[in-house]
Amino acid sequence: MATVEERVKAVTANVLKLNADEIKLEDSFTADLGAESVQSIELVAMFEEEFSIEMDEDAALSVQTVGEAVEFITDVCKKQGVDVEE
Amino acid sequence: MRLVLFDCFPELRSRFFPLSLGRPLWELRIGMGSLAGKLVAKIHPDNIVYFVPDYMADAYRAQVDKPVNDMSALVGDDLMLVNPVVKAESFKVPVQGTSEIGLDEHRTVVYARISKSDAKRLSSDDIEAFIDLAKAKLPNVTCKLPTWNYTWDLILANGEQITAEFADAGRNGFEGTLEEPVAVRGSRKDVYVAPGVKVHPMVTIDAEHGPVYIDERAEIHPFSRIEGPCYIGTGSILLGAKCREGNSIGPYCRIGGEVEESIIHGYSNKYHDGFLGHSYVGEWVNLGALTTNSDLKNDYSNVSIMLDGQHAIDTGSAKVGSLIGDHTKTSIGTLLNTGSYLGAMAIIMATGKPLPKYIPSFAWFIEGIVTKGFGKGRLYETAKTAMDRRKCEWTPAMEAMWDAVFEMTAPERNKAIKKGRMTLVK
Repeated sequence: MATVEERVKAVTANVLKLNADEIKLEDSFTADLGAESVQSIELVAMFEEEFSIEMDEDAALSVQTVGEAVEFITDVCKKQGVDVEE
Repeated sequence: MRLVLFDCFPELRSRFFPLSLGRPLWELRIGMGSLAGKLVAKIHPDNIVYFVPDYMADAYRAQVDKPVNDMSALVGDDLMLVNPVVKAESFKVPVQGTSEIGLDEHRTVVYARISKSDAKRLSSDDIEAFIDLAKAKLPNVTCKLPTWNYTWDLILANGEQITAEFADAGRNGFEGTLEEPVAVRGSRKDVYVAPGVKVHPMVTIDAEHGPVYIDERAEIHPFSRIEGPCYIGTGSILLGAKCREGNSIGPYCRIGGEVEESIIHGYSNKYHDGFLGHSYVGEWVNLGALTTNSDLKNDYSNVSIMLDGQHAIDTGSAKVGSLIGDHTKTSIGTLLNTGSYLGAMAIIMATGKPLPKYIPSFAWFIEGIVTKGFGKGRLYETAKTAMDRRKCEWTPAMEAMWDAVFEMTAPERNKAIKKGRMTLVK
């Protein structure tokens, strides 16, 4: 199974039309990867679908970087009893 | 005699969604005011008591100076309980008389006249139990009083209501300021311009086919044309609007573009061009520039509307536009299909195509699908900002009420979100 980081990068690449290999943990979704507000909503939706989790919108949308997203999603998965590869 | 307005039949309430999500049924507007105002004018009670769904009790209590959901208010006086959807002009039940419960053909309580002594014997924990007990213990009579059954009934009868209420009000003349040239068509007896109103130059008031009532401190900007029957509420502004017949607007709305046979609750904006026809718009709504709705299908067949996102209801009319819930905002260029339902607290971003006919409450409609968007917290922030701008307060009680609406409307919203996700995943 792919790790959370790999899956977050894959979803991000798919939504923002980027190459997953070029996405770094310290990248900001907006400043570095060019996500517009509408795409932020799409990212949250697609992360929920990818990991079969429910995220609080306000908390999810306050996440700035890819690394923070990995941490946040890992935490939500644990809380919601979803097994993931860290 | 104490008038008791009760709103405790969920199925009835649901027929007035999304407008009834944030208010009791008697606060719905038609003609020159609310359903409650008309019932009070007809019945002339000494006092009023309100019974609303629990989730909105605190918010409503802050809006009125009469008891809300207070069972102790049901003793000490003769009572007249009235189902708020009864058409006031048809309510001819004598307020004096022995106790009796008026039921329609489905055995729903239409009214209940209960003497002080009988009321004392009906001690109950809540209004539903009180009504059930009254039905069981007091004489029942079958009655056929006309009622408002759906929101579109209000839209379709609005012009007639304005005409009737204008006659009842018995006012006409120009007490506000008219800056010439202002053209008045029809009889000046069919126009009332209240004190504090400012009618700018180059305005046409056309009362040939119905009366025009412009309430206090409203302002009519140049190149507006107002066709009667029409009611413009206190403090509202018309910005070069083509205000066609049959509109009730206000209070404190900003209206531009073309509006026809529509009812708009207070503090809503349709500032710019775009057509709104045969529609019902809640409070604190903002319709972005060029938002336009269809109110007539190309084949002239009856318009149907979904109030639950699943079951289409034939309105029986070829002309019905949109139902738009409180606090909903549309972006520029939004196109609304005939018979559209936009829930409360929804955010709509146009796609260039007509929207789906049903958008749930608290939905963020973005890129052609219903999403969770930025969540309800962001919607509340926007509501607070909008209200602050008009010197109104977003209160914890309001937030608690909308939280309850958020939960109530979750099933249809989640279903729409899931459908949208499937589109995204593809």
